[in-house]
Amino acid sequence: MSEPRFEPIVGRYLTVPIMDADCRVYVEEAGSGIPLVCLHTAGADGRQFRHLMCDEAVTSRYRVLAFDMPWHGKSYPPVGWQDCEYQLTTERYVQTVRAFCKAMALDRPVVMGCSIGGRIVPQLAHAHGPEFRALIGLEAADHQQPWYDTAWLHRGDVHGGEVCAALVSGLVAPQSPAQHRHETLWQYMQGGPGVFKGDLYFYRVDSDLRGKLAGIDTRRCPLYLLTGEYDFSCTPEDTLRTAQSIPGTRVTVMKEVGHFPMSENPARFREYLLPVLEEIAAGAA
Amino acid sequence: MSDCNEGRDAQVDRELAGRLRRAIRLAFDGDANLQRRGRHLETRCLIQIGTERLLLEIHAGRPTIAEQIPLLCSWAFAIRADAKAWSALWQPVPAPGSHDVFALYKRGEMQIDGNLQPLMANLQYFKDLVTLPREGEGR
Repeated sequence: MSEPRFEPIVGRYLTVPIMDADCRVYVEEAGSGIPLVCLHTAGADGRQFRHLMCDEAVTSRYRVLAFDMPWHGKSYPPVGWQDCEYQLTTERYVQTVRAFCKAMALDRPVVMGCSIGGRIVPQLAHAHGPEFRALIGLEAADHQQPWYDTAWLHRGDVHGGEVCAALVSGLVAPQSPAQHRHETLWQYMQGGPGVFKGDLYFYRVDSDLRGKLAGIDTRRCPLYLLTGEYDFSCTPEDTLRTAQSIPGTRVTVMKEVGHFPMSENPARFREYLLPVLEEIAAGAA
Repeated sequence: MSDCNEGRDAQVDRELAGRLRRAIRLAFDGDANLQRRGRHLETRCLIQIGTERLLLEIHAGRPTIAEQIPLLCSWAFAIRADAKAWSALWQPVPAPGSHDVFALYKRGEMQIDGNLQPLMANLQYFKDLVTLPREGEGR
């Protein structure tokens, strides 16, 4: 009989007190060393980081953790969810990330987030920088122009999962391998009703950070921003503008990559990420 | 603009419209997956390439293009762009910003208007349909 072909990823459930409720949060991790907390995009879940968690060049020095936000993936919504409309706010998002790090007893983790996870990164740097060893924003900017009405994401005469996936399909670079493109889209097809829309409340309405990011000390908490050239939602220009407003930010535009670098083209993404992780690890030594 | 340039532009519009017409006729027949995904779709839409207009009648997901657009004809929605934008979208590996209908829309190079419910309820179908003329995998 052959041995089971397990991946190195281990998944568990964790109780995380977030604002006024205990939330049952699903978390996956792999590796050991510097904690690296990964934040998924709006309407998706932690599976986006599965390639990173199976990459020995990363896990040999980093303890990679990816949790599903409440309402996403295998994390339930809080008790009583059926009586409210989900809306992520800046305050709720910041508290979620900090509560997760506290519940896991992480010592000055690196936080890397993509899209909405990228948007929260400068806010974390601004309001709570000393708590983090370094911050990495993927597809991150202080603001970006909307390109569709989010009302389409949750209405009875349009299938939510299908329209969410079809909208974001254009954010995947043409060069990304078909397997990874469609795995990325599958997560959008699986999202709960109105969850992507609720995440975008944070993105569109509640997190215009332009002119609000003063005082970030990138010497104490290095800040890296990496954006794919095919991302027309958070464009390279949006990221470059943001980086210019925060002295010391290291910014990279990734070739042949779109809005989901870690899941749409993991091989290309690691070429850009490994030097960043190397630099952070060297600084921590 | 000179008459000569206008003539050349109209010729390019016609060539691209012909390319979309052929792709929808030939590539659609060979794309069982696209046929399956659109099987419940009934609508009529307009695709405009510069000055060229194509009226798509879609029954059970199968599009046919009218030879002529009838007078006082209506359609649910329209997708319009100039030849340059369509041509860029149909490159084998399109450049950033020209690689998706909404990328072009956000840049103001494509217009989408009308009753968008049939479009949004079948969005990937329509994205795939209007990129049938693209050669290669980058869809």
